Amino acid sequence: MFTCKDSIDQLLEFLDGEISADDEEHLHEHLSGCPPCVSFLKTYRATPNLARRALGETMPEDFARSLTAFLRERCKKK
Amino acid sequence: MESGDPTAAEDRNLLEKAQAGDMAGFEALVERHRDHVYSLALRMTRSEADAAEVTQETFLSAYQHLAEFRGEAAFGSWVHRIAANHSLMRLRHSRVVKNAEEEIKGQPEFNERGSLAEYPESDWSRRADERVLDSELRRAIQQASDGLPESYRQVFLLKDLDDLSYEEIAEITGDSVPAIKSRLHRARLALRDAIDRFYNDG
Repeated sequence: MFTCKDSIDQLLEFLDGEISADDEEHLHEHLSGCPPCVSFLKTYRATPNLARRALGETMPEDFARSLTAFLRERCKKK
Repeated sequence: MESGDPTAAEDRNLLEKAQAGDMAGFEALVERHRDHVYSLALRMTRSEADAAEVTQETFLSAYQHLAEFRGEAAFGSWVHRIAANHSLMRLRHSRVVKNAEEEIKGQPEFNERGSLAEYPESDWSRRADERVLDSELRRAIQQASDGLPESYRQVFLLKDLDDLSYEEIAEITGDSVPAIKSRLHRARLALRDAIDRFYNDG
């Protein structure tokens, strides 16, 4: 019988589609009787997308201008 | 592969121009990808000045190797890999002593029966699709990423921000795929915990 810990340990492989058939069956069985783990799975699955959006920056304009100037200077020298 | 993706199609178009020596084509490619490269470098190095330099080095390197790029992968993936290499090189140079395996916080706790000791009071997973991200949530996620031990932060950023494959990450970091997966999992748990605290304690 899978515990919450066993289930959470398997989440990455489950979401990557790399979990064994046996483990997947145990995981589904656990999830069907454990609402906290269902919430945990949903929030774990949503995390990379939220993180990607939160960590995306726009390069500050002065850096962008320096980048253009740097590349024009250095690429010309080739 | 990506023939239906208008972004990739436009990149290919600009790449052809750049490879033919058209600097404007190359500059257009830079403009399309610089924010991504800068974001990765900033979260890797945690320094705006270092991130700006890594971005310069990345695109200079891309320009110097432009002729070798065959277009089998998307231009974006290729540049992301170059950015990952330059970010890691920068980290290695700035590090005086390599830390031993550091402890990662924000891991779930279980009772003696292996059941979750605490669990999400609210399921915030659908909030991930909201059009505008709360600025405090952005800050909480950035702090959680910056607070990850370096070996975890690298893997997490290379996978979840740079979208590299496990094999590409293994090639760049020199770590094994199982070690990378284990760190990614624990890093995602730590980020999930930080977001959960934002929604449930805020």
